[in-house]
Amino acid sequence: MEGFTPVDMTVLIVYIGLIAWIGSRFGKDQHSPEDYFLGGRKIPGWAIGLSVMATQASAITFIGAPGWGFEGGLERLVTFINVPLAMIVLIMVFVPVFHRAGIYSIYELLERRFGPATRTLSALLFLIARGLATGVVLYAPALVLSVVTGWSVNLTIIIMAVLAISYTVLGGMSAVIWTDVIQMFVLWLGALMSIFLLVTSLPGGWSDVFTFGAQSGMFNAIDLSLDPSVTYSLWAGLLGGFFLHVAYFGTDQSQIQRVLSSPSVLDAQRSLLIGGYLLIPQMLLFLFIGVILATYYQQHGLTPPEDLNELLPRYVVNAFPSGMAGLVIAGVFAAAMSSLDSALNSLSAVTVRDFYSRYIKPDASDAHYLKASRLATIFWGFYATLFAFFAGNLGPVIEAVNQIGSWFYGALLGTFLLAIFSHRSNARGAVAGLFTGMLAVWSVSSLLDVSWLYNNTIGVMVSVSVGYLVSLTSAAPRPEQLSDVIIEETAPDMQAILAARSANAPEIGREARLTRRRCIGLFVWFGVMLGLLALLQGWANG
Amino acid sequence: MAERLTLSRQLDEHAARRWLGRLGATALEPAWVALWAAPLGMKGKPPGAWLLGARDMQRALLLTGAELPVQAERPDAGVQLTGATAPTLEATQRLWLWERMATPRLWRIQALDTPPTPVWLPCWLGYRAGQKHQLTVISGLSGEVLSMIKPLVLAGLESAHRQVQAGDEKTLPTG
Repeated sequence: MEGFTPVDMTVLIVYIGLIAWIGSRFGKDQHSPEDYFLGGRKIPGWAIGLSVMATQASAITFIGAPGWGFEGGLERLVTFINVPLAMIVLIMVFVPVFHRAGIYSIYELLERRFGPATRTLSALLFLIARGLATGVVLYAPALVLSVVTGWSVNLTIIIMAVLAISYTVLGGMSAVIWTDVIQMFVLWLGALMSIFLLVTSLPGGWSDVFTFGAQSGMFNAIDLSLDPSVTYSLWAGLLGGFFLHVAYFGTDQSQIQRVLSSPSVLDAQRSLLIGGYLLIPQMLLFLFIGVILATYYQQHGLTPPEDLNELLPRYVVNAFPSGMAGLVIAGVFAAAMSSLDSALNSLSAVTVRDFYSRYIKPDASDAHYLKASRLATIFWGFYATLFAFFAGNLGPVIEAVNQIGSWFYGALLGTFLLAIFSHRSNARGAVAGLFTGMLAVWSVSSLLDVSWLYNNTIGVMVSVSVGYLVSLTSAAPRPEQLSDVIIEETAPDMQAILAARSANAPEIGREARLTRRRCIGLFVWFGVMLGLLALLQGWANG
Repeated sequence: MAERLTLSRQLDEHAARRWLGRLGATALEPAWVALWAAPLGMKGKPPGAWLLGARDMQRALLLTGAELPVQAERPDAGVQLTGATAPTLEATQRLWLWERMATPRLWRIQALDTPPTPVWLPCWLGYRAGQKHQLTVISGLSGEVLSMIKPLVLAGLESAHRQVQAGDEKTLPTG
């Protein structure tokens, strides 16, 4: 038990300094605009995908998932088992529509389709939900800092908030995709090293882990119960978790922002593909650490910390060789900063684009909007800080983030589905669907004993049905309101022109379509993951 | 009015077949789309990238490089799609502001105070026949799918079709 030594502190400072130097060297002081653009284009797609993953979830996964695994073994993996399926829907439906529409904020699509009220309401819901979730993301590194220094977590929240806000206002460091990739590998290295150290410290090694895990039912990831009150049944994961992730990755501006800024549809799809393949193994890795930690605690007769989010950081600080602990903790910090930077940026961008420039100052100068966006960043930083003080009471941070989203995002997803698929839906229906969808989620979650994973499903179902039915009570949308969601070439005249041109154009040999191939790959991956879990569970139960 | 520059086609038919084939197209043809290129750069320095757009486009295309990759020859084979109107300098600058807001690392790069230059953008049009005929537009410079200019291309094809029809009617023997 070495604790956080001066060597660790040195490594922490050097690492943060190094990342800051790389950020400023390659991010801000590039000599020409060409460097800015080409810098991004020379980076391979897998690195961009990993960078997206790093900004999305790495720090809170590192902190939250081992707590999940410690408490419930692999049962909560069903929350993520649906991610490949959700990515298929995003790749096939959302990305092409969003890209074709050429929008900066996804809520603009709702204005063109349903009018300003729906855009404003949706953007407001995003601000509230993402602002709250950012509080949880802020809490994660604050907790680590508290574990490392022994200071009160409330003090470290304030310190982290000041750091994160200043960092974002000054321009952030996310310019350098490679730093995100490095952070991702540092965190994975930390996870693998934790497994190695934990397992080698057990007298029976892996056999102790598997025996304890099997005896305590920790490998029972697949619960076929049809009871909706069972939180982590397979059906809750498949049905509820699927809508949760389509909503999370498709209707939250902070998640879809990079997809909108991708140079092409194929690039946008690729960044989603990486998440589709890697999120389940990453979650499995961290949940497994929770199982190993449970074995370790049981064998050593230790009492776990009250806040299970502290489990892995505490283990890293106490058990890792001097220097390595500093590196991994630095990785958590840097990853958390990257997530915070991206969340605060998207909150401020939506505030300026969907509210300030829309309603308050439509024709201000660039400098004015820059100032407004900085003030918005500070405002959302304070808002998130206030919520971060309560985040410790919400259980594992990773679940807290998803639960907050599930209060709002189901209804929001329903509104997007109405916009894209129902050409009869109109503004009245969309607003009615949005309100009743949220109301239904809140009523069901407070009155009935139903797994929270179903919240998004309820929100989607109610908002789509109510939205459609209410739409029938008023006029159908005008053709120009449907221009973003209808394939332009379907008009009969246009079909005749395309048929004539196509008949005279040179033919291309038939090849498997890339998008379809990508989606089939994700579906197979989903089957493989589910099959492996079933095999593990079958083995554990004899 | 400045002469329309022709950007040189860097994706040959063989490469375009490969790109479009992966996207499900079964036939292809070259095309040229009339757009306007606005220079981007740091104040007081030469441009480092270009924003390609037209008045009706919601979002512009980004073309990196200090110089526009132009060729001396006029557009050769392929349908020429005109019909888009020039964006104003103010509209281009505002468009770029939103791009910068969406990607903060681009903040230091500004739309320069130079009127946009008219250009011919080389493209490849991919057709797919199924229950409905579908069109995919890819860039003749990079092969990227250009969903954002699809409405412009469809309008251009319609206008080209009408011109051909009008020409046919004129050449019909009379009396």
